[in-house]
Amino acid sequence: MTIRKWIEQIEGEASVQFEFEKNHVSFATIAFPHTRGMEAILQSKPAMDALVITPRVCGICGHSHLFSAVRAIESVYANCGAPVEISQKAESIRELTLTLELIQNHLKWLYLVIYPELSHMLQEKIADSCRLKGAYAASLATKILAIFAGQWPHSSYMIPGGVTCDPTHVDIIRAEGLLDELIRWFEKELIGITLDEYVCYSSKKTFLTVTGDMKKIENMLKRTKMHEQGFSYDRYLAMGEHEFSKPSKLVNRRMAKVHSKFVTLEEAYSIDEKTYAKNALYHDDYFETGPLARTMIEGVPFIKQMYKNYRDSTYTRVMARSYEAALLLEHSKKLLQSIKLNEPSYIQPLKKIATLSGEGIGIVEAPRGSLIHSVILKNGIIDQYKLITPTQWNLSCGSPEIPGPAQKAMIGSDSIETATFTFRSFDVCSVCTTH
Amino acid sequence: MSDRVEAVKKLFTSKSSRVETNKGESYYQELFIKCEARLNELRANTPANRLDFADLLEENGIDRREFMKWASATTAMLMLPPMFTPLVADAAVMMNRAPVIWLELQDCAGNSEALLRADGPKIDEIVLDIISLEYHETLQAASGHQAEKQLEEAMEHFKGKYLLFVEGSIPMGMNGQYGTIGASGETFHDHLVRCATNAAAVVAVGSCATFGGIPAASPNPTGAVGVMDVIKNKPLINIPACPANPANMVGVILHYLLTGQIPELDSLLRPKFAFGYRIHDNCERRAHFDAGEYVEVWGDAGAQNNFCLYKMGCKGPMTFNNCSIVRYNEAVNWPIGVGRGCIGCSEPDFWDKYAYERPMADAKIKAPSGGVEKSVDEFGLGMLTAAGVGITIHAAASAVAGKREKSGESHE
Repeated sequence: MTIRKWIEQIEGEASVQFEFEKNHVSFATIAFPHTRGMEAILQSKPAMDALVITPRVCGICGHSHLFSAVRAIESVYANCGAPVEISQKAESIRELTLTLELIQNHLKWLYLVIYPELSHMLQEKIADSCRLKGAYAASLATKILAIFAGQWPHSSYMIPGGVTCDPTHVDIIRAEGLLDELIRWFEKELIGITLDEYVCYSSKKTFLTVTGDMKKIENMLKRTKMHEQGFSYDRYLAMGEHEFSKPSKLVNRRMAKVHSKFVTLEEAYSIDEKTYAKNALYHDDYFETGPLARTMIEGVPFIKQMYKNYRDSTYTRVMARSYEAALLLEHSKKLLQSIKLNEPSYIQPLKKIATLSGEGIGIVEAPRGSLIHSVILKNGIIDQYKLITPTQWNLSCGSPEIPGPAQKAMIGSDSIETATFTFRSFDVCSVCTTH
Repeated sequence: MSDRVEAVKKLFTSKSSRVETNKGESYYQELFIKCEARLNELRANTPANRLDFADLLEENGIDRREFMKWASATTAMLMLPPMFTPLVADAAVMMNRAPVIWLELQDCAGNSEALLRADGPKIDEIVLDIISLEYHETLQAASGHQAEKQLEEAMEHFKGKYLLFVEGSIPMGMNGQYGTIGASGETFHDHLVRCATNAAAVVAVGSCATFGGIPAASPNPTGAVGVMDVIKNKPLINIPACPANPANMVGVILHYLLTGQIPELDSLLRPKFAFGYRIHDNCERRAHFDAGEYVEVWGDAGAQNNFCLYKMGCKGPMTFNNCSIVRYNEAVNWPIGVGRGCIGCSEPDFWDKYAYERPMADAKIKAPSGGVEKSVDEFGLGMLTAAGVGITIHAAASAVAGKREKSGESHE
């Protein structure tokens, strides 16, 4: 039996076609039937235009795209023998705004997708205002972001050499006030204990003290048996370099260094459906990327504990993403305190951008995983621009013999409903996938 | 040089480039009576959803006083006299009686993000929360066939009454195959036409839906066009900008709810209340422009002292929008506030003609023939360029005249 399902919510739509045999999902194909042709649009435009165009690939993780684009151009400078110097201050501000974008993504996904979906599956009613609650928290994060970036979504405040903003003490105090409000919200609504207790957490027992929505969500995940399904390849990849994440891969509990030269793209498998997505592979293998991968690679005790019991199930995946939000809140607090206002925001690169010819690559950790921008410049004009987005890793559509990470996780589900939930645990971002 | 200076002066002071904010006593009296009647009519309707405005205000700790403050600010934004304030407040309370169907086409969902309270003043957010969104792919709980059914039902039930909000451009290339929707594989074009047929009015939100946006950037790989290129026989309102400001979305809906009409539009079908002024007219850095104080290089002393960003490629002087007043993310900030300059995102073709670091002096835009004495309505791209040319002269003049002597007063 074949069932085709149209999955919406959060950043565009995907079409998933399930093969159902003996009451289990035996295979599923994922298709994205729309595209804008972003790479073609970037071609033959001045390099700096990438800072305006690439954030608009995605309405929910545009900031990550901006960061990738800036890193890609800066890497061209480095490859041309004129490495760009960046002040610690600019570095911290960039990292802070990225971190905030991750937080707001995680919270929106949790409250607009995960929580309502779980309630729907268990046929339990949740208040209409529940979704708004998550959106409120996300708006606090984006407000802090706007203090440094001017607006969210679609900012272009990072430039090769630093950032354009020059925050004052007043700005920092405003940001700290908003961050405190967000943390208080997180403690009150989501976990019911202090953030410090939550992030220092090391044993299963501590989770018993957690109350709030997180407790409810965890309980619902168990009741829907999400800890018994949704297993993928157990191979993890994080390629962006940040304070909160090291570029590494983790296969069979073994960590190894990664290099972008091993990343390849292949056509998505499709039988009769049109799709504009391409699969991303590392060393010709599918890898899971995103919060679960990052926390596994970082060896976060809480997630390691979950993993020990439930491996890379949908349960662990959801818990990892929501827990990462807590870690990132803690991280942004530190970052905000570390900004040295007397440093320059911008240090002028040694060469003019119009003189640059060469290749560059910029990688960051976006909310859903590793995001890669690679660019070839000719006299400051974009000759070629390539985007590889996180969902191209996770939602790769492979053949029945070698399915992609999300496909593998869906195979074996006892109903379309649970398989769909597993799919959502990777989070759909179709506008990024096909760009 | 002197006639150039004159030209600039004329440009900024000409009567016709102003927006008419006072239409006379009798006009407003008549409108007031009309609005009152309309609100009474609406009051009799049953709300389309359960969210109650008063409850939400209370939940968010907003008292009556604060709400009325918002109502009077919104009245002003809509360019209505103060006597309309109670009506605007009433209309806000009845927001759940305005059925809205929201379509996402070739987009990045950035405008939905704005709708998701990513920004906008608090009460605007609440208003957006209770707008009766009958169908929105990102926000709704239902999905798949269930969602398609929901859309059908909403369109039937609110036939001729719903506002159709459209986000994203329409790919016309390859017979529309660059974008299809739903299990039937309906093209975005057909989907839009079908949904627009019974709409009261169509609102294109964001630059993609209005002018094709980034997808239509050269070489326009998918043949993307805006809604106004597809829908010809319906009242159409464009709310460009990338992302569109939620305050302006609320303004349009409120206006419709209040008067039953679409607000006054300019030649590009943008509501004048939001797009009647240039960014430059109300920019917080305007004084530095007038004083000839510019940021010359990123991070220089000018940048540290919030000087004018024109020479760094700011498109504020050629861009019609109200972000210098409304700002973004609950009025926390806006692009110029972080020293990066306006990119002109609410103007047609901004991605090609206005892109990042290209001051108008270097841009390859032809100056239009004819004077600068034209109304906002006639301000097409050509006219915008005229403003650009005028300002280029000014910026060049500052360079010629040599930098102003830096006296202590310009620093902090």
